[in-house]
Amino acid sequence: MPEASSNIFDYFNTVSWLLYSIGLMGIFKKCKVNPLWAWAPVAKEYKLGQCAYKEKEGRTYAKLSIAGYIFNFADNFVDHESSLYIVFLILYIAVGIGAIIYMVRITIGLCEVFKKKKSWAIMWFILQMPTALIWGYNKKFVPVKQVAVIQDGVKDSGINLDARDEGLTVNINSRTIIDLFKKKYLLKDIHLHIPKGHMVLLLGGSGAGKTTFLNAVTGYEKADAQILLDKQNIYKEYESLKYDVGFVPQQDLMRGNDTVYLTLHDAASLRLPSSVSYKDKKRRVNEVLEEFGLGAIRNSLVEKLSGGQRKRLSIAMEFISDPSLFILDEPDSGLDGVVARGLFEKLRSIADSGKIVVVITHTPDRVIDLFDDVVVLAKDSSRCGRLAYYGPIEDSYTFFNKKSMEDILLSVNQKEEGGEGLADEYVEKYAQLMTQEKEAG
Amino acid sequence: MKKSIRHSGRLYQTFIYLGKLFRMFIFQNDWKVLPMSAIIAGLVSFVVGANVFVSQEGTLTGTFAMTCICIWNGFFNSIQVICRERPIVKREHRSGLHITSYIAAHMIYQAFLCICQTVITIMICVFAEVAFPSAGMVTPIALLDIAITIFLVTYCADMMALMVSAMVHSTTTAMTIMPFLLIFQLVFSGGFFSLPAPALKVANVTISKWGLTALCIQGNYNDLPMVSLWNSMVKMKNVDVGGEKPVYDALKYVEDSGKRDILLAESGKQNQNPAYNYDPENLKRCWKFLILLSLLYVFIAVTSLEAIDKDKR
Repeated sequence: MPEASSNIFDYFNTVSWLLYSIGLMGIFKKCKVNPLWAWAPVAKEYKLGQCAYKEKEGRTYAKLSIAGYIFNFADNFVDHESSLYIVFLILYIAVGIGAIIYMVRITIGLCEVFKKKKSWAIMWFILQMPTALIWGYNKKFVPVKQVAVIQDGVKDSGINLDARDEGLTVNINSRTIIDLFKKKYLLKDIHLHIPKGHMVLLLGGSGAGKTTFLNAVTGYEKADAQILLDKQNIYKEYESLKYDVGFVPQQDLMRGNDTVYLTLHDAASLRLPSSVSYKDKKRRVNEVLEEFGLGAIRNSLVEKLSGGQRKRLSIAMEFISDPSLFILDEPDSGLDGVVARGLFEKLRSIADSGKIVVVITHTPDRVIDLFDDVVVLAKDSSRCGRLAYYGPIEDSYTFFNKKSMEDILLSVNQKEEGGEGLADEYVEKYAQLMTQEKEAG
Repeated sequence: MKKSIRHSGRLYQTFIYLGKLFRMFIFQNDWKVLPMSAIIAGLVSFVVGANVFVSQEGTLTGTFAMTCICIWNGFFNSIQVICRERPIVKREHRSGLHITSYIAAHMIYQAFLCICQTVITIMICVFAEVAFPSAGMVTPIALLDIAITIFLVTYCADMMALMVSAMVHSTTTAMTIMPFLLIFQLVFSGGFFSLPAPALKVANVTISKWGLTALCIQGNYNDLPMVSLWNSMVKMKNVDVGGEKPVYDALKYVEDSGKRDILLAESGKQNQNPAYNYDPENLKRCWKFLILLSLLYVFIAVTSLEAIDKDKR
């Protein structure tokens, strides 16, 4: 009898699994996902997450499913009487709880996408198979948005540039990551040369790869690329060149309980060569304090400073080692127009002293007169960051046929982000322009 | 081509960060761990202090409580110190900070905190008239031996918390993990709770086991009297069996004949634990394990923090 009931249970499980997969096929079809994925373990969990517009949750759910499958398989080999089995069970329960939580998150997402009451999530939890069938084949269940089809994007574009004696030469072929067993391109074909003394605006919408680009340029995250600073390869000589690159992060990452002077002094101790004497180091700290207008508050605690003062201190920390390449990620965030203008004027003066200054800002038009060039990064139809333009500010208006940087940004942003979705066109146009320029010598 | 320029070395950087940490001790709230340790030591001494190093039961309870104080202090000293400033460390690492120097500075600073807490704990116990052993085992001074054990347990717990702080990305995660580690240490100490055979191996990697064992060795646990049986019999002295009170009679006989202490000592002998043998080598073994565990935690902390550049925004 127990064997017979076990067989019935196995039979019921198999039929349930088949019907559930058939139900998922219907849902996937409605969401523009290949229905065959419904039969692939792990992938179907991930795809369900995509249908629910919860890709991150889908990824975790898929990983937990892998763990679940492994546990199920290992269960055949573990002695149920051994103490190891208790550990096994504890882990299995932990993974199971995680999987349930992520499944609930995804089903709540599905309810939002299908515009159904969230109480359906309970049905998904207790009666998964019939619910999947209803959602898959009932015509009243229609998703309000479908999974975006990622196209191939623009083919290879851009030309490798030769290194020049001075300035920054960027030749990024690609920057990729492996995302759930799949190679994903974050950046592709970005080739440009920034001369010394130039202040460059880095423009791009959300997810266009601005930070990825900067990380690749600074060598923090290496890409398939060659980055040359005055003909020196940043990747190959990272340990010595990292002191020649100043990166000011968006947040003011400093210890609030230190004074301004000590913060800058410690930064100098880290960044300046050990050959610099204590006296010279002290003099340099005092010079930079005065240069950034921090002399009067040298003994104040960092936590007591205003937003503008903090930002200046954060920049001064990088400036102390006199880097050739100076990169700032949204230095004006949280600052009012007047303070921001003052800050950018300071950056202009740094560029005028022969440095390369690259700045990301989301409000470029109020200070655009201070920049020499603009780099426009855009997310193409394959969601990969591409170079849509690099050149003088004035020429950029002509290239995009726009009157402001904000308009340029709107033109390259994807339609679902409220933009014009012309990224691919401009990427191709710029690549052609570069080819023509090269051919013309 | 630029010449390779030397920048500040590991030793110099260690001093820079030591300076930062001591400034934090003075100007931020880090100093508060010291009065907190005094309060905890006072409370524990008040509850279990009278019987520590007097009887086997009192010693086991008292040394377990002392070990708990040390682990608690150690955990609280450093559980948040790295994760709370992780983005700052990432920025500084990219600017040339050596992670080994950063951790070394923390090790030295935490050692300072642990020494202070050890002194405070010992002082509170002395004020609470805890009957500390009179003869030293490794050093000539018994109290110094006890102080070394308390320091090593606190420091080992401190390094474990430092490791957790280096591995996690937020203070919330660190504070969520901490109670689990604490419970693990308390349950798997091996001395206070009876553990099943497979769990005894796990106990070998707990700080609490080596701390408890070291303190029991120093308290000469195996030569102490055991009073549980006597106390139980006293409770049963009025039990009437067929019109007689045999337990009372037995107790009276033992008391009158002056054999009570002998019996209590004999009772203790039946309950000896070879791990607690009063042998300096035994004690040194416990200390070695605590030092090894501390080094292991430091190694893991450095290794995991070296990957800080891979942190996402």
